Formats: sequence, C-alpha cells, structure tokens
Amino acid sequence: MPLEPFKTSASLSLGVELELQLVSLSNLDLIDASPDMLDLLGRRAFPGNVVPEITESMIEVSTDVHTNHEGLLGQLRQIRDALVAAGDRLNVGVCGGGAHPFQQWTERKIFSKPRFSEVSALYGYLAKQFTIFGQHIHVGCASGDDAMFLLHSLNRYVPHFIALAAASPFLQRRDTLFNSARLNSVFAFPLSGRAPFTLSWHEFAHGYFASMEHTGIVRSMKDFYWDIRPKPEFGTIELRVCDTPLTVDRAAALAGYLQALSACLLARSDMPPSESDYLVYNYNRFQACRFGLDGTIVHPKTYESITLREDILATLRRVEGHAEAMGAVAALSHLKQVAHEGSDANYLRRQYEDRGSSEGMVEAAIGRFRQ
Amino acid sequence: MWSELLPLAADLAWPFALALAWVIGELGHRWTGLPRISLYGAVGFFLAHTQLGLLPPVTKGSVMLLANVAFGLILFEFGYRINLRWLRTNPWISATGVLEAAATFVAVYAVAITFGMPLLSSLLLASLAMSTSPAAVMRVVNEERSSGQVTERLLHLTAINCVLAVFAFKVIVGFWTFQTSGNIWQALSNSLVVLAVSAGLGATFGLGVPALLRHFGRLTTDATLGFAIGVILLVAIAHSLKFSPVLAALTFGFVARHRRVALNQTQRNFGALGDLLVVVLFVFVATTIEWQRVLTGFVLALALISVRMAAKVFVVGALARVSGVSWRKGVLTGFALTPISVFVILLLEQTRALGIDLVDQLAPLAAATLLLELVGPVITQRALMLAGESAEPTGR
Repeated sequence: MPLEPFKTSASLSLGVELELQLVSLSNLDLIDASPDMLDLLGRRAFPGNVVPEITESMIEVSTDVHTNHEGLLGQLRQIRDALVAAGDRLNVGVCGGGAHPFQQWTERKIFSKPRFSEVSALYGYLAKQFTIFGQHIHVGCASGDDAMFLLHSLNRYVPHFIALAAASPFLQRRDTLFNSARLNSVFAFPLSGRAPFTLSWHEFAHGYFASMEHTGIVRSMKDFYWDIRPKPEFGTIELRVCDTPLTVDRAAALAGYLQALSACLLARSDMPPSESDYLVYNYNRFQACRFGLDGTIVHPKTYESITLREDILATLRRVEGHAEAMGAVAALSHLKQVAHEGSDANYLRRQYEDRGSSEGMVEAAIGRFRQ
Repeated sequence: MWSELLPLAADLAWPFALALAWVIGELGHRWTGLPRISLYGAVGFFLAHTQLGLLPPVTKGSVMLLANVAFGLILFEFGYRINLRWLRTNPWISATGVLEAAATFVAVYAVAITFGMPLLSSLLLASLAMSTSPAAVMRVVNEERSSGQVTERLLHLTAINCVLAVFAFKVIVGFWTFQTSGNIWQALSNSLVVLAVSAGLGATFGLGVPALLRHFGRLTTDATLGFAIGVILLVAIAHSLKFSPVLAALTFGFVARHRRVALNQTQRNFGALGDLLVVVLFVFVATTIEWQRVLTGFVLALALISVRMAAKVFVVGALARVSGVSWRKGVLTGFALTPISVFVILLLEQTRALGIDLVDQLAPLAAATLLLELVGPVITQRALMLAGESAEPTGR
C-alpha cells in the first residue's frame, strides 16, 4: 500500500502522547494493570484518548489537537487527574519517567492484540525490553514539504529535547551513568535512527518509502522507529526522543518549546539543513543521553563545541519572540529553570541518594506525577 | 535389631517425606499443572501417622517450629503486600471484605446449626470458615507470578477476612471462658491480651528491623536476609511465650511496609529459603488431618464448603462493578478466596492447650480443611488463569 497523501493540518498545532508506567503500590515494581485500568477508564468519558501499549505495564494517553501551550497543559492535567483517580481505585501507581529502574523484562506480559503479538514474534525479547516510556510530540505542518523541511531542520535540536526530558538514569537497580538510558533500547531496533535526507515529500513518499515497501521490510510508517518521523495521516511530524517527564507540566513545556522552535525554523532563521548535518548527529545524541545538560555537542555547521546547557539557554532566548506569538512563554520559563536546576534524571538521582533505594525513587516519581 | 533401627527410621522419616514431596510436587506440577502446595499436602496427608504411618506424630519440636517459621515468612510477605491506604481510597474494598466475611459467617453458622451441631461449635466453625488461607493464596500468586485486580483483591480480602476470623474466634473463646469460669481476667487474657501483645511484638520488629537495615548503610543490598532472620526470631519468641506467631509475623510485614523507614528490595518468597520451608509447612499441615475425622465429617464438610463458596462468590461478585472491576473479575475473585486457612489448625492447637478440646467436635472442619487444602489452591490457580493474570509460561 503506497504511503497516503500528506494531510494538511493547522501549521504549528500541537498534540502530545505520553507512555506511562503502571506500578504496584506493594513492591513498586511494574504491574500488569493496563487491562484493568482500561476497563475502568472505559466506563466514562476520558478527557483525551487512552490506549494500551505493547506490554501490560504501560498505558498510553494522548491529547486532542491544541494551538497553544495553555490549552495543552489544561488537558494534560485533566488526563492526569483521571488516571490518578482510576489508579487509586485499583491500587495502581501511575508515574512518568523514561524507564522503570528495576523491572525485569522477563516478567513483562505482552498486551493481547494482534499487532503486539506480531511485533513480539518478530523482535523476541526486544519487544519486552521495549517496556520504556516516551513522550511523543506532534507538530502540525501545512504541507508534506514543510514537514520534511522541519523534520531535518530540527536535527540539530534533537539533543535539547533528549537532555531536557531525560528521566531514565537507572536500569536493573544500577546507575547507568546515562541521563536517558531509554534511548539505548530504541537504538536496538533495526529501523531506528533518523529519517533519510530529502526535503521533498514527493521524493520521500514515492522514492524512499515506495522502495522500502518494495523490499518487503516495511508496510507502514509505524515500522520506522525514527527519532522524528512524518505522520501523513495526521499531517504532522512526530518528535519521539523525549523520555516521559515526571510531571505533565514538563511534558506541556517541552511541547511549547518545540512549537516556538518550529515557528522559528519555519521562518527560515537557520541555515537550511543538509545531509552533512548528520555527520555529528549520533555523537551529539549520545552526549545528550549520557551527560544530559552537561553534555558537549558539536555544531553541525560550524563544528564548534558547545555545552548543551548553554546552547539550550541561547536557543530559548532566540525563540522568545515566537513563543510570545504562540503563547508559549510559560513553557520557556519552565525549561529555563530546568536548564539551571537540572532535569528529572538529576531529581531521580537525588531521590536515590536521599531514600537509599530504587524503590524509593519510584515512590518519589509516583508522588511527583500527582502534583 | 528393630529397636535399634526404629529411632534411625524416625530421624529419616521427615527428610524422606520432604524429598518425596518435592519430587512429586515438581513432577506433578509439570504433568498436571496443579499447584505444588496441593501436591505437598497430598503427600503429607498420605504419609501421616494416622494414614500410612511413615511420619511420626508431631506435637512439638523442630518440625513444628520450622512449620511456624515457614508460616511466619509467608505471613510477613503477605503483610508486606497489603496497602492500607487502598482500603481508604476505595472503601468498597473494605466493604466487600467485611460483608463477604459476615455472609460466610452467617451461612456457615446456619448450616452447622441445621446439621445439629452445638451452639459453641457452630459459632467457632463459622468464625474460622470466614478466613481464606493467606499461605495458600500467597504461594499460588507467586507460583503463577500473577498480577492484576483479581490478585490484588484476593490478597486484600484475605487479609481482611483473616483478621476478622482471628478476632471473632478469640472473642467467642473469650466469651465461652467467661461463661464457664466466670473469670473476666482469664477471659480477657485468653483473647484480647494475646492479640494485642502479639501485634505489639510484630510492630516492634516492623519498626526495628528496617531501622537496623538502614543503619547498615547502602540499601541497594538485599533486605531479604535481614527480614528472614527477623521473622525467625519473632516467631520463636511468640511461640515460646505462647503468643500468636501468626499475628506477630503478619503485623511485622504490615508495619515494615507502612512505616517504612526505608524501602528495600526483597526477594519474592524469600528465595530458595522460602521455597524449602513451604515444603515443610504444607506437608506438616496435612499430616495433622486424620482420615477417621475426615470420614465422619464429610457430608457436613461438603455442605459447609458449598455455602462458604456461594457466600464469597455472591458478595464479592455483587460488589465488583461498584468497586471498580468487571462482574467477571469479581466472581473470579470470589472463587479465588476458596482455600481455607491453615492457621485454622494452629488456632485449634492453641485452644487445645487452653483446655478446650474443639478438635473432636469440629470433625467437619478437618474434612473441609483437607478438601480445601488440596482443592482450594487449584481453584485459586484456575481463577487467576481465567482472569488472564498469570504470567505466560516461560522457557518453553
């Protein structure tokens, strides 16, 4: 089936998907609670959309399309309240964070749904160790070409989002020394990484995608696990590198930043993207995952080394004008504070120090999500 | 010659019985999928001195203590999984627990009286029948590695009905003591004081052990050993001072969880230690059941089991929707509550020491316990499977 035409959507509109952890309040390990949660949530209208994810310890929520940060934040808070209330009735903790610090992938159960069974059969243990939790942000694009331009222009800023959202420092009870260990799990998939370079939707859909489909490797865009991928049926591009933050406020702030930044890029304020930008892409991405805000990235055009924190603060200042126009000023000030005070990964490490165990870290994450 | 071999044979009896139970447990579990504890129980029952007679009668000594420790470990883990706050945030859980236990009490009492049992025996029987076996439930949940609402509710409802059963039992015994002796102090000390001191003892451990662990520093280390040693010590103290090891261990787990000075990693089942002691416990418990009594009380036992099950399934099922799960999961939870408590026996042993010999009067209970000891875990296991909450088979 050829790729469907790129559906036009309101430029710079926003939508957010969050994958959340379902945690047992007895031992703070993940619990296979998504069937029960979905059953209970299905009884009354949910302020958004809620669907299962690949394993039964995950639940995915998504917002409607929003034009500004405030509306998005409002809906995310309603979604959170509905989830927390359902969790309270079922003795299930709901929290953010990119990965659970001590769950065992062998204990996970694949949610019973044909697509998940297929993925599980194809990828084996990769499917179960894919019990990781990300935030996906959709940005509306007026055309397919706009989408491809924005997708590739954002390549240099991908590390910003990784570092600001980083919330998965621990795996298997040990500090991984990464701020976002989650993305390493994504990288294990053969079709992960970045989209091929082209600024033309026609070339992407009829050249690259058609050829890939012809090889039989892929059937739909869903088979690609790229950091940013176009979503023609929504008319959006989807940024997928963020760990699910510990609070919905941060999730909304990240979306607000992406909106203002996209506005700035679509105004053609940067030098146009090129294939050679991707020479430094994986290295920068690694720096952001490993060191978070303290990482050092290489500018793809000038090859200058800069710390991520400085680069983020400079970019936040640069997009301020656009943020004012889009109503995303509060989002930027939230992230400015993060750049100064540290990410959720830093917060989780502090909790581990204070409370002395991985269990304590999860308990803190549950408490933080409710705030 | 025989007289020389006899003590040797007695020494060997238990290790052989355990080995046999283990082998039958593993093979039987693989071939039939039945829960291991049912198979351990079957082995214990057949080898008991009143049946095949391989195992000597146990009244006290190391096996009794081991069984108590095993029970203590399970109860600790059980208490550790109970979340009091849930009972507050979802009051329907507590309501279900209380109503389910009350309905069971009334139904069993009515049947017992109809069958012509004396008043006191009927009351005691009804109070004991309220409880679900925390040990059986915990073992099946761990064996199935199940998680979900049926599992959560099963554990919490079991906690509620056990506490109510112990309380009702002690009150009835206390009342009876008061009526016969007219001594209010004896009545009180027989019931409430024992309960209070046992709980206090457990609470002290619940605060002390985590604090000690915290003091040892870096809590990334496993707390399993610390808690296991705590349970062993606590059970030994409660046992020798004639308090309730059951309640003490339960409170220990409960307090360690709720007043957690720190959170600790603990191994499910206390690892291999727990697995080993469970063999001892379930073989031992089944040896205390006598075939003769089972036969005597069989018909009444069947009636009791039926009404007990009906009461539990009906109440838990009826309150399912309002408490937040589907009818189906509610009914399955009701069935999962079937295993009867092994501490029924332990309670009986204690009252025997107090001079009330209920065991003879409660023959139907022996029959019911045997049936439910063997069949109960199977029902729980099937309920968890039907609810889709057991883990997928691994490594096959």
